[in-house]
Amino acid sequence: MLEIENLEAGYGGLPILKGVSLRIGRNESVAIIGANGAGKSTLVQAICGLIPATSGRIVQQGREIHHLPAHERAQRGIAVVLEGRRLFGELTVRQNLMLALAHGMRRGADQQIFSLERILELFAFMSGRLDARVELLSGGEQQMVAIARALLLQPEVLIMDEPSTGLAPKVVRDIVEVIERLRAGGMSVILVEQNVAIAAQTSERAYVMSLGKLVYEIAPGGWDDFRNNEALVRAYLGGQ
Amino acid sequence: MSGTLLLQSSLVGLTNGFVYALIGLGIAVVFRGTRIINAMQGEFSLVGGLFAFLVLERLGLPMFVAFPLGVLVGAGLGFVIERVFVRPARRRGASEESYLLLTLGLAFAISAAVLYFFGRDSIALAGIGGEGSVVFFDAALRVHAIWLIVISCAVMVLLKLFYARTLIGQSIVAASLDEAGAATVGINVPLMHSLTFLLGGLVGGLAGVLVSPMIAVHYEMGLLLTLKGFAAAILGGLANPFGAIVGGITIGLIESLAVLTVSSGYKDVIAMAILIVIMILMPHGMLGYGRRKGG
Repeated sequence: MLEIENLEAGYGGLPILKGVSLRIGRNESVAIIGANGAGKSTLVQAICGLIPATSGRIVQQGREIHHLPAHERAQRGIAVVLEGRRLFGELTVRQNLMLALAHGMRRGADQQIFSLERILELFAFMSGRLDARVELLSGGEQQMVAIARALLLQPEVLIMDEPSTGLAPKVVRDIVEVIERLRAGGMSVILVEQNVAIAAQTSERAYVMSLGKLVYEIAPGGWDDFRNNEALVRAYLGGQ
Repeated sequence: MSGTLLLQSSLVGLTNGFVYALIGLGIAVVFRGTRIINAMQGEFSLVGGLFAFLVLERLGLPMFVAFPLGVLVGAGLGFVIERVFVRPARRRGASEESYLLLTLGLAFAISAAVLYFFGRDSIALAGIGGEGSVVFFDAALRVHAIWLIVISCAVMVLLKLFYARTLIGQSIVAASLDEAGAATVGINVPLMHSLTFLLGGLVGGLAGVLVSPMIAVHYEMGLLLTLKGFAAAILGGLANPFGAIVGGITIGLIESLAVLTVSSGYKDVIAMAILIVIMILMPHGMLGYGRRKGG
Protein backbone atom coordinates (compact mmCIF):
# COMPACT_ATOMS: atom_id res chain seq x y z
CA MET A 1 0.00 0.00 0.00
CA LEU A 2 2.59 2.58 1.13
CA GLU A 3 6.34 2.04 1.25
CA ILE A 4 8.96 4.51 2.36
CA GLU A 5 12.58 3.75 1.53
CA ASN A 6 15.60 5.58 2.96
CA LEU A 7 13.69 8.84 3.23
CA GLU A 8 15.71 11.92 4.11
CA ALA A 9 14.18 15.36 4.66
CA GLY A 10 14.56 18.44 6.81
CA TYR A 11 14.12 22.17 7.05
CA GLY A 12 16.33 24.78 5.38
CA GLY A 13 19.15 22.36 4.69
CA LEU A 14 19.07 20.95 8.22
CA PRO A 15 18.54 17.17 7.90
CA ILE A 16 15.95 15.79 10.32
CA LEU A 17 14.97 12.44 8.80
CA LYS A 18 17.94 10.16 8.28
CA GLY A 19 17.19 7.20 6.09
CA VAL A 20 13.68 6.31 7.30
CA SER A 21 12.19 3.13 5.83
CA LEU A 22 8.78 1.71 6.68
CA ARG A 23 5.79 0.11 5.06
CA ILE A 24 2.10 -0.16 5.76
CA GLY A 25 -0.17 -2.69 4.13
CA ARG A 26 -3.84 -2.52 3.17
CA ASN A 27 -6.21 -2.51 6.17
CA GLU A 28 -3.28 -2.20 8.56
CA SER A 29 -2.84 0.18 11.47
CA VAL A 30 0.71 1.21 12.33
CA ALA A 31 1.92 3.57 15.03
CA ILE A 32 5.04 5.71 15.04
CA ILE A 33 6.04 6.56 18.56
CA GLY A 34 8.88 8.61 19.96
CA ALA A 35 9.77 11.43 22.30
CA ASN A 36 9.44 15.13 21.49
CA GLY A 37 11.89 16.14 18.78
CA ALA A 38 12.31 12.60 17.45
CA GLY A 39 11.24 13.72 13.96
CA LYS A 40 7.74 12.23 13.90
CA SER A 41 5.96 15.32 12.61
CA THR A 42 8.70 15.89 10.05
CA LEU A 43 8.08 12.37 8.79
CA VAL A 44 4.35 13.10 8.48
CA GLN A 45 5.04 16.31 6.57
CA ALA A 46 7.46 14.54 4.25
CA ILE A 47 4.96 11.75 3.52
CA CYS A 48 2.14 14.16 2.70
CA GLY A 49 4.40 16.47 0.68
CA LEU A 50 4.54 19.58 2.84
CA ILE A 51 8.33 19.37 2.93
CA PRO A 52 10.38 17.91 0.07
CA ALA A 53 12.37 14.70 0.41
CA THR A 54 16.07 15.30 -0.18
CA SER A 55 16.55 11.63 -0.99
CA GLY A 56 14.77 8.29 -0.79
CA ARG A 57 11.45 7.12 -2.21
CA ILE A 58 7.79 7.09 -1.25
CA VAL A 59 5.82 4.50 -3.20
CA GLN A 60 2.03 4.17 -3.10
CA GLN A 61 0.46 1.15 -4.79
CA GLY A 62 3.66 0.67 -6.82
CA ARG A 63 3.81 4.31 -8.00
CA GLU A 64 6.41 6.79 -6.81
CA ILE A 65 4.75 9.83 -5.25
CA HIS A 66 7.65 11.62 -3.51
CA HIS A 67 8.02 14.07 -6.42
CA LEU A 68 4.33 15.10 -6.29
CA PRO A 69 3.11 18.29 -4.57
CA ALA A 70 1.02 17.88 -1.41
CA HIS A 71 -2.34 18.53 -3.09
CA GLU A 72 -1.75 15.77 -5.64
CA ARG A 73 -0.83 13.29 -2.91
CA ALA A 74 -4.10 14.18 -1.14
CA GLN A 75 -5.97 13.61 -4.40
CA ARG A 76 -4.29 10.19 -4.67
CA GLY A 77 -5.61 9.12 -1.29
CA ILE A 78 -2.93 10.17 1.21
CA ALA A 79 -4.98 11.95 3.87
CA VAL A 80 -3.45 13.57 6.90
CA VAL A 81 -4.68 15.09 10.14
CA LEU A 82 -1.87 17.50 10.91
CA GLU A 83 -0.73 18.46 14.38
CA GLY A 84 -2.68 21.59 15.33
CA ARG A 85 -5.53 20.45 13.04
CA ARG A 86 -5.00 23.19 10.40
CA LEU A 87 -8.70 23.75 9.80
CA PHE A 88 -10.14 26.77 8.00
CA GLY A 89 -11.43 28.61 11.05
CA GLU A 90 -13.45 31.30 9.26
CA LEU A 91 -15.36 28.69 7.26
CA THR A 92 -18.18 26.58 8.60
CA VAL A 93 -17.92 22.90 9.45
CA ARG A 94 -19.91 22.09 6.31
CA GLN A 95 -17.61 24.19 4.12
CA ASN A 96 -14.50 22.54 5.59
CA LEU A 97 -15.96 19.11 4.90
CA MET A 98 -17.25 19.90 1.42
CA LEU A 99 -13.86 21.23 0.32
CA ALA A 100 -12.32 17.87 1.13
CA LEU A 101 -15.14 16.01 -0.58
CA ALA A 102 -14.74 18.15 -3.72
CA HIS A 103 -10.95 18.06 -3.95
CA GLY A 104 -10.33 14.55 -2.66
CA MET A 105 -9.63 11.28 -4.39
CA ARG A 106 -11.84 10.77 -7.42
CA ARG A 107 -13.97 7.67 -7.00
CA GLY A 108 -17.24 6.66 -8.56
CA ALA A 109 -20.32 7.29 -6.41
CA ASP A 110 -20.61 3.54 -5.74
CA GLN A 111 -16.96 3.37 -4.62
CA GLN A 112 -17.14 6.34 -2.28
CA ILE A 113 -16.16 5.16 1.19
CA PHE A 114 -17.23 8.24 3.13
CA SER A 115 -20.21 10.42 2.34
CA LEU A 116 -21.36 13.37 4.42
CA GLU A 117 -24.15 11.14 5.79
CA ARG A 118 -21.66 8.50 6.90
CA ILE A 119 -19.51 11.17 8.54
CA LEU A 120 -22.52 12.45 10.48
CA GLU A 121 -23.16 8.89 11.71
CA LEU A 122 -19.54 8.61 12.84
CA PHE A 123 -19.47 12.07 14.47
CA ALA A 124 -23.03 12.60 15.72
CA PHE A 125 -22.35 16.03 17.31
CA MET A 126 -21.67 17.53 13.87
CA SER A 127 -25.29 17.30 12.74
CA GLY A 128 -26.18 20.29 14.87
CA ARG A 129 -22.99 22.20 14.15
CA LEU A 130 -22.64 21.96 10.38
CA ASP A 131 -23.24 25.67 9.85
CA ALA A 132 -21.13 26.83 12.79
CA ARG A 133 -17.81 28.54 12.08
CA VAL A 134 -15.04 26.09 12.93
CA GLU A 135 -13.10 28.63 15.01
CA LEU A 136 -16.03 28.72 17.44
CA LEU A 137 -15.86 24.97 18.20
CA SER A 138 -14.01 23.48 21.15
CA GLY A 139 -10.61 21.86 20.63
CA GLY A 140 -12.09 18.36 20.80
CA GLU A 141 -14.80 19.20 18.28
CA GLN A 142 -12.21 20.74 15.99
CA GLN A 143 -10.15 17.56 16.17
CA MET A 144 -13.19 15.55 15.12
CA VAL A 145 -13.80 17.92 12.20
CA ALA A 146 -10.16 17.52 11.17
CA ILE A 147 -10.51 13.72 11.17
CA ALA A 148 -13.83 13.92 9.30
CA ARG A 149 -12.31 16.25 6.72
CA ALA A 150 -9.46 13.83 6.12
CA LEU A 151 -11.90 10.93 5.75
CA LEU A 152 -13.91 12.80 3.12
CA LEU A 153 -10.82 12.78 0.91
CA GLN A 154 -11.72 9.06 0.46
CA PRO A 155 -8.23 8.07 1.58
CA GLU A 156 -6.33 4.87 1.00
CA VAL A 157 -4.09 5.79 3.94
CA LEU A 158 -5.04 8.03 6.87
CA ILE A 159 -2.14 9.62 8.76
CA MET A 160 -2.83 11.22 12.12
CA ASP A 161 -0.22 13.36 13.85
CA GLU A 162 -0.69 13.44 17.63
CA PRO A 163 -4.51 13.51 17.52
CA SER A 164 -4.80 13.33 21.31
CA THR A 165 -2.47 16.18 22.22
CA GLY A 166 -3.94 18.83 24.48
CA LEU A 167 -7.40 17.25 24.68
CA ALA A 168 -9.47 16.21 27.70
CA PRO A 169 -9.43 12.47 28.59
CA LYS A 170 -13.08 12.07 27.54
CA VAL A 171 -12.33 13.57 24.10
CA VAL A 172 -9.24 11.35 23.77
CA ARG A 173 -11.42 8.30 24.49
CA ASP A 174 -13.84 9.42 21.77
CA ILE A 175 -10.99 9.82 19.29
CA VAL A 176 -9.58 6.39 20.17
CA GLU A 177 -13.05 4.93 19.59
CA VAL A 178 -13.23 6.58 16.17
CA ILE A 179 -9.80 5.22 15.23
CA GLU A 180 -10.84 1.74 16.36
CA ARG A 181 -13.98 1.96 14.24
CA LEU A 182 -11.99 3.09 11.22
CA ARG A 183 -9.55 0.26 11.77
CA ALA A 184 -12.39 -2.24 12.07
CA GLY A 185 -13.76 -0.83 8.82
CA GLY A 186 -10.55 -1.70 7.00
CA MET A 187 -8.88 1.72 6.82
CA SER A 188 -5.07 1.82 6.67
CA VAL A 189 -3.96 4.13 9.47
CA ILE A 190 -0.59 5.59 10.41
CA LEU A 191 -0.86 7.00 13.92
CA VAL A 192 1.91 9.26 15.16
CA GLU A 193 1.74 9.38 18.95
CA GLN A 194 3.75 10.16 22.03
CA ASN A 195 1.27 8.32 24.19
CA VAL A 196 2.22 4.62 24.06
CA ALA A 197 -1.05 3.49 25.65
CA ILE A 198 -3.12 5.08 22.88
CA ALA A 199 -0.77 3.77 20.21
CA ALA A 200 -0.98 0.22 21.61
CA GLN A 201 -4.76 0.39 21.84
CA THR A 202 -5.22 1.45 18.23
CA SER A 203 -2.33 -0.09 16.29
CA GLU A 204 -1.25 -3.64 15.51
CA ARG A 205 2.41 -2.81 15.23
CA ALA A 206 4.67 0.20 15.57
CA TYR A 207 7.97 1.84 14.82
CA VAL A 208 9.93 3.68 17.50
CA MET A 209 11.56 6.87 16.27
CA SER A 210 14.53 8.63 17.78
CA LEU A 211 16.72 11.44 16.39
CA GLY A 212 15.27 11.14 12.90
CA LYS A 213 15.66 7.36 12.60
CA LEU A 214 13.37 4.40 13.13
CA VAL A 215 15.31 2.57 15.80
CA TYR A 216 13.00 -0.24 16.82
CA GLU A 217 10.04 -2.12 15.37
CA ILE A 218 7.25 -3.50 17.51
CA ALA A 219 5.79 -6.53 15.77
CA PRO A 220 2.11 -7.58 16.03
CA GLY A 221 1.56 -8.90 19.54
CA GLY A 222 4.80 -7.29 20.75
CA TRP A 223 3.37 -4.31 22.61
CA ASP A 224 3.58 -5.93 26.06
CA ASP A 225 7.20 -6.98 25.55
CA PHE A 226 8.08 -3.43 24.54
CA ARG A 227 6.25 -1.79 27.43
CA ASN A 228 7.81 -4.21 29.92
CA ASN A 229 11.30 -3.40 28.67
CA GLU A 230 12.00 -0.44 30.90
CA ALA A 231 15.43 0.29 29.49
CA LEU A 232 14.07 0.47 25.96
CA VAL A 233 11.15 2.67 26.91
CA ARG A 234 13.38 5.01 28.91
CA ALA A 235 15.96 5.20 26.12
CA TYR A 236 13.55 6.10 23.37
CA LEU A 237 10.47 7.57 25.01
CA GLY A 238 11.87 9.27 28.07
CA GLY A 239 10.52 6.75 30.56
CA GLN A 240 6.75 6.65 29.76
CA MET B 1 -25.89 76.08 2.82
CA SER B 2 -28.75 75.10 0.52
CA GLY B 3 -30.24 71.63 0.38
CA THR B 4 -29.39 71.38 -3.32
CA LEU B 5 -25.74 72.17 -2.63
CA LEU B 6 -25.65 69.55 0.10
CA LEU B 7 -27.26 66.98 -2.21
CA GLN B 8 -24.89 67.85 -5.07
CA SER B 9 -21.94 67.56 -2.75
CA SER B 10 -23.21 64.20 -1.43
CA LEU B 11 -23.62 62.82 -4.95
CA VAL B 12 -20.06 63.85 -5.81
CA GLY B 13 -18.89 62.25 -2.57
CA LEU B 14 -20.84 59.09 -3.31
CA THR B 15 -19.35 58.83 -6.79
CA ASN B 16 -15.80 59.40 -5.53
CA GLY B 17 -16.54 56.93 -2.74
CA PHE B 18 -17.39 54.21 -5.23
CA VAL B 19 -14.15 54.97 -7.10
CA TYR B 20 -12.17 54.42 -3.88
CA ALA B 21 -14.36 51.43 -3.08
CA LEU B 22 -13.56 49.66 -6.34
CA ILE B 23 -9.83 50.08 -5.77
CA GLY B 24 -10.22 49.04 -2.14
CA LEU B 25 -12.27 46.05 -3.24
CA GLY B 26 -9.37 44.90 -5.42
CA ILE B 27 -6.90 45.36 -2.56
CA ALA B 28 -9.17 43.39 -0.24
CA VAL B 29 -9.66 40.62 -2.83
CA VAL B 30 -5.89 40.15 -3.13
CA PHE B 31 -5.46 40.30 0.64
CA ARG B 32 -8.28 37.81 1.25
CA GLY B 33 -6.74 35.33 -1.17
CA THR B 34 -3.04 35.69 -0.43
CA ARG B 35 -2.63 37.81 2.75
CA ILE B 36 -0.53 40.15 0.58
CA ILE B 37 -1.07 43.91 0.77
CA ASN B 38 -0.95 44.81 -2.91
CA ALA B 39 0.49 48.28 -3.34
CA MET B 40 0.07 48.16 -7.11
CA GLN B 41 -3.71 47.76 -7.23
CA GLY B 42 -4.06 51.23 -8.75
CA GLU B 43 -1.66 50.24 -11.54
CA PHE B 44 -4.07 47.51 -12.67
CA SER B 45 -6.57 50.34 -13.09
CA LEU B 46 -4.05 52.58 -14.82
CA VAL B 47 -3.13 49.88 -17.33
CA GLY B 48 -6.75 48.77 -17.83
CA GLY B 49 -7.89 52.37 -18.40
CA LEU B 50 -5.00 53.12 -20.76
CA PHE B 51 -5.63 49.98 -22.80
CA ALA B 52 -9.32 50.82 -23.10
CA PHE B 53 -8.32 54.31 -24.26
CA LEU B 54 -5.98 52.90 -26.92
CA VAL B 55 -8.62 50.52 -28.22
CA LEU B 56 -11.33 53.17 -28.15
CA GLU B 57 -9.46 56.20 -29.43
CA ARG B 58 -6.54 54.85 -31.46
CA LEU B 59 -8.15 51.72 -32.95
CA GLY B 60 -11.58 53.29 -33.13
CA LEU B 61 -13.35 50.23 -31.77
CA PRO B 62 -16.63 50.71 -29.89
CA MET B 63 -16.88 51.11 -26.12
CA PHE B 64 -18.48 47.68 -25.62
CA VAL B 65 -15.28 46.16 -27.03
CA ALA B 66 -12.78 48.58 -25.48
CA PHE B 67 -14.06 48.43 -21.90
CA PRO B 68 -14.12 44.59 -21.60
CA LEU B 69 -10.66 44.45 -23.20
CA GLY B 70 -9.38 46.95 -20.63
CA VAL B 71 -10.81 44.78 -17.85
CA LEU B 72 -9.22 41.64 -19.32
CA VAL B 73 -5.84 43.36 -19.62
CA GLY B 74 -6.06 44.27 -15.93
CA ALA B 75 -6.85 40.62 -15.11
CA GLY B 76 -4.00 39.39 -17.31
CA LEU B 77 -1.57 41.81 -15.67
CA GLY B 78 -2.60 40.52 -12.24
CA PHE B 79 -2.03 36.93 -13.31
CA VAL B 80 1.38 37.72 -14.85
CA ILE B 81 2.51 39.71 -11.79
CA GLU B 82 1.73 36.71 -9.55
CA ARG B 83 3.45 34.18 -11.78
CA VAL B 84 6.54 36.24 -12.59
CA PHE B 85 7.20 38.17 -9.38
CA VAL B 86 5.09 37.03 -6.42
CA ARG B 87 5.39 33.26 -6.83
CA PRO B 88 9.21 33.16 -6.98
CA ALA B 89 9.33 35.42 -3.91
CA ARG B 90 6.88 33.14 -2.09
CA ARG B 91 8.91 30.08 -3.01
CA ARG B 92 11.90 31.69 -1.31
CA GLY B 93 9.88 32.38 1.85
CA ALA B 94 9.25 36.12 1.38
CA SER B 95 7.79 38.00 4.34
CA GLU B 96 4.74 40.30 4.31
CA GLU B 97 7.00 43.37 4.17
CA SER B 98 8.81 41.93 1.14
CA TYR B 99 5.57 41.70 -0.82
CA LEU B 100 4.66 45.26 0.11
CA LEU B 101 8.02 46.47 -1.16
CA LEU B 102 7.81 44.23 -4.24
CA THR B 103 4.38 45.52 -5.29
CA LEU B 104 5.33 49.11 -4.44
CA GLY B 105 8.41 48.79 -6.64
CA LEU B 106 6.32 47.34 -9.46
CA ALA B 107 3.84 50.22 -9.07
CA PHE B 108 6.64 52.76 -9.54
CA ALA B 109 8.02 50.77 -12.49
CA ILE B 110 4.65 50.73 -14.26
CA SER B 111 4.12 54.39 -13.49
CA ALA B 112 7.55 55.16 -15.00
CA ALA B 113 6.77 53.06 -18.07
CA VAL B 114 3.52 54.98 -18.61
CA LEU B 115 5.41 58.26 -18.21
CA TYR B 116 7.97 57.10 -20.79
CA PHE B 117 5.46 55.97 -23.40
CA PHE B 118 2.58 58.42 -22.84
CA GLY B 119 4.28 61.43 -21.26
CA ARG B 120 2.91 63.70 -18.53
CA ASP B 121 -0.30 64.59 -20.32
CA SER B 122 -3.61 63.36 -19.00
CA ILE B 123 -5.76 61.19 -21.19
CA ALA B 124 -9.53 61.53 -21.16
CA LEU B 125 -11.62 58.45 -21.80
CA ALA B 126 -15.20 58.78 -23.00
CA GLY B 127 -17.76 57.70 -20.42
CA ILE B 128 -20.84 55.51 -20.73
CA GLY B 129 -23.64 57.85 -21.76
CA GLY B 130 -21.15 60.51 -22.90
CA GLU B 131 -21.43 63.73 -20.91
CA GLY B 132 -25.10 63.15 -20.21
CA SER B 133 -26.39 63.55 -16.67
CA VAL B 134 -29.50 62.91 -14.63
CA VAL B 135 -30.97 65.60 -12.39
CA PHE B 136 -32.28 64.78 -8.88
CA PHE B 137 -33.91 67.70 -7.08
CA ASP B 138 -31.75 70.19 -8.99
CA ALA B 139 -28.57 68.21 -8.31
CA ALA B 140 -26.91 66.56 -11.32
CA LEU B 141 -25.24 63.15 -11.53
CA ARG B 142 -23.42 61.95 -14.65
CA VAL B 143 -24.91 58.92 -16.36
CA HIS B 144 -21.46 57.35 -16.25
CA ALA B 145 -21.37 57.83 -12.46
CA ILE B 146 -24.67 55.98 -12.16
CA TRP B 147 -23.20 53.12 -14.17
CA LEU B 148 -20.11 53.16 -11.96
CA ILE B 149 -22.26 52.86 -8.83
CA VAL B 150 -24.50 50.15 -10.29
CA ILE B 151 -21.58 48.09 -11.63
CA SER B 152 -19.68 48.45 -8.32
CA CYS B 153 -22.69 47.15 -6.41
CA ALA B 154 -23.08 44.27 -8.87
CA VAL B 155 -19.39 43.36 -8.51
CA MET B 156 -19.75 43.37 -4.75
CA VAL B 157 -22.75 41.02 -4.88
CA LEU B 158 -21.04 38.74 -7.41
CA LEU B 159 -17.89 38.57 -5.27
CA LYS B 160 -19.96 37.74 -2.21
CA LEU B 161 -21.65 34.89 -4.09
CA PHE B 162 -18.31 33.78 -5.52
CA TYR B 163 -16.71 33.39 -2.08
CA ALA B 164 -19.80 31.94 -0.40
CA ARG B 165 -21.20 29.62 -3.06
CA THR B 166 -18.46 28.47 -5.42
CA LEU B 167 -15.85 25.79 -4.90
CA ILE B 168 -13.09 28.00 -6.33
CA GLY B 169 -14.08 30.92 -4.10
CA GLN B 170 -14.01 28.79 -0.97
CA SER B 171 -10.79 27.12 -2.06
CA ILE B 172 -9.18 30.57 -2.45
CA VAL B 173 -10.27 31.50 1.07
CA ALA B 174 -9.08 28.14 2.45
CA ALA B 175 -5.68 28.50 0.76
CA SER B 176 -5.21 31.93 2.29
CA LEU B 177 -6.31 30.87 5.78
CA ASP B 178 -3.98 27.87 5.99
CA GLU B 179 -1.73 26.86 3.12
CA ALA B 180 -0.68 23.54 4.64
CA GLY B 181 -4.23 22.68 5.61
CA ALA B 182 -5.44 23.54 2.11
CA ALA B 183 -2.74 21.54 0.33
CA THR B 184 -3.55 18.48 2.43
CA VAL B 185 -7.20 18.57 1.38
CA GLY B 186 -6.17 18.57 -2.27
CA ILE B 187 -6.30 22.31 -3.01
CA ASN B 188 -3.69 23.55 -5.48
CA VAL B 189 -2.52 26.50 -3.37
CA PRO B 190 -0.24 28.20 -5.95
CA LEU B 191 -3.07 28.07 -8.50
CA MET B 192 -5.41 29.71 -5.99
CA HIS B 193 -2.88 32.52 -5.52
CA SER B 194 -2.67 33.02 -9.29
CA LEU B 195 -6.46 33.14 -9.53
CA THR B 196 -6.57 35.63 -6.67
CA PHE B 197 -4.24 38.04 -8.47
CA LEU B 198 -6.21 37.49 -11.66
CA LEU B 199 -9.38 38.42 -9.79
CA GLY B 200 -7.67 41.42 -8.18
CA GLY B 201 -6.46 42.51 -11.63
CA LEU B 202 -9.96 42.02 -13.02
CA VAL B 203 -11.48 44.28 -10.36
CA GLY B 204 -8.60 46.74 -10.88
CA GLY B 205 -9.08 46.77 -14.66
CA LEU B 206 -12.81 47.28 -14.20
CA ALA B 207 -12.10 50.17 -11.84
CA GLY B 208 -9.73 51.58 -14.47
CA VAL B 209 -12.25 51.68 -17.29
CA LEU B 210 -14.97 53.05 -15.00
CA VAL B 211 -12.80 55.62 -13.27
CA SER B 212 -10.87 56.92 -16.27
CA PRO B 213 -13.76 58.89 -17.76
CA MET B 214 -14.19 60.65 -14.41
CA ILE B 215 -10.61 61.38 -13.39
CA ALA B 216 -8.28 61.78 -16.36
CA VAL B 217 -5.70 59.02 -16.75
CA HIS B 218 -2.09 60.01 -16.12
CA TYR B 219 1.05 58.21 -15.07
CA GLU B 220 0.64 58.99 -11.34
CA MET B 221 -2.99 57.92 -11.21
CA GLY B 222 -2.25 54.39 -10.02
CA LEU B 223 -0.41 55.33 -6.85
CA LEU B 224 -2.96 58.00 -5.92
CA LEU B 225 -5.81 55.55 -6.40
CA THR B 226 -4.00 52.86 -4.40
CA LEU B 227 -3.62 55.25 -1.48
CA LYS B 228 -7.34 56.09 -1.34
CA GLY B 229 -8.35 52.50 -2.08
CA PHE B 230 -6.07 51.28 0.67
CA ALA B 231 -7.71 53.68 3.14
CA ALA B 232 -11.15 52.43 2.01
CA ALA B 233 -10.15 48.78 2.41
CA ILE B 234 -8.59 49.31 5.85
CA LEU B 235 -11.54 51.37 7.04
CA GLY B 236 -14.01 48.72 5.96
CA GLY B 237 -11.93 45.80 7.30
CA LEU B 238 -9.15 44.53 5.06
CA ALA B 239 -10.10 40.87 5.27
CA ASN B 240 -13.67 41.67 4.23
CA PRO B 241 -13.85 42.77 0.56
CA PHE B 242 -17.31 44.21 1.08
CA GLY B 243 -16.06 46.49 3.79
CA ALA B 244 -14.15 48.38 1.10
CA ILE B 245 -17.45 49.60 -0.32
CA VAL B 246 -18.53 50.97 3.06
CA GLY B 247 -15.04 52.39 3.65
CA GLY B 248 -14.87 54.00 0.20
CA ILE B 249 -18.28 55.64 0.48
CA THR B 250 -17.44 56.91 3.97
CA ILE B 251 -14.22 58.52 2.76
CA GLY B 252 -15.89 59.98 -0.33
CA LEU B 253 -18.71 61.54 1.68
CA ILE B 254 -16.40 62.93 4.37
CA GLU B 255 -14.19 64.48 1.69
CA SER B 256 -17.03 66.19 -0.13
CA LEU B 257 -18.57 67.46 3.09
CA ALA B 258 -15.14 68.82 4.06
CA VAL B 259 -14.95 70.64 0.73
CA LEU B 260 -18.41 72.05 1.29
CA THR B 261 -17.96 73.14 4.90
CA VAL B 262 -14.24 74.00 5.18
CA SER B 263 -12.09 74.11 2.06
CA SER B 264 -11.05 71.74 -0.72
CA GLY B 265 -7.43 72.11 0.42
CA TYR B 266 -8.29 70.49 3.76
CA LYS B 267 -10.44 67.62 2.50
CA ASP B 268 -7.71 64.96 2.83
CA VAL B 269 -6.65 66.20 6.27
CA ILE B 270 -10.22 66.16 7.60
CA ALA B 271 -11.03 62.79 6.00
CA MET B 272 -7.88 61.16 7.39
CA ALA B 273 -8.37 62.71 10.85
CA ILE B 274 -11.88 61.22 11.03
CA LEU B 275 -10.54 57.88 9.78
CA ILE B 276 -8.01 57.84 12.61
CA VAL B 277 -10.81 58.29 15.14
CA ILE B 278 -12.87 55.52 13.49
CA MET B 279 -9.89 53.14 13.48
CA ILE B 280 -9.25 53.80 17.19
CA LEU B 281 -12.89 53.08 18.00
CA MET B 282 -13.18 50.12 15.57
CA PRO B 283 -9.67 48.65 15.15
CA HIS B 284 -10.87 45.74 12.96
CA GLY B 285 -12.50 48.17 10.53
CA MET B 286 -16.15 49.07 10.16
CA LEU B 287 -17.14 45.61 8.92
CA GLY B 288 -14.25 43.62 10.39
CA TYR B 289 -14.71 41.46 13.44
CA GLY B 290 -12.57 40.06 16.19
CA ARG B 291 -12.62 36.30 16.58
CA ARG B 292 -11.69 33.71 19.10
CA LYS B 293 -9.91 30.49 18.40
CA GLY B 294 -11.63 27.38 19.69
CA GLY B 295 -9.71 25.46 22.27
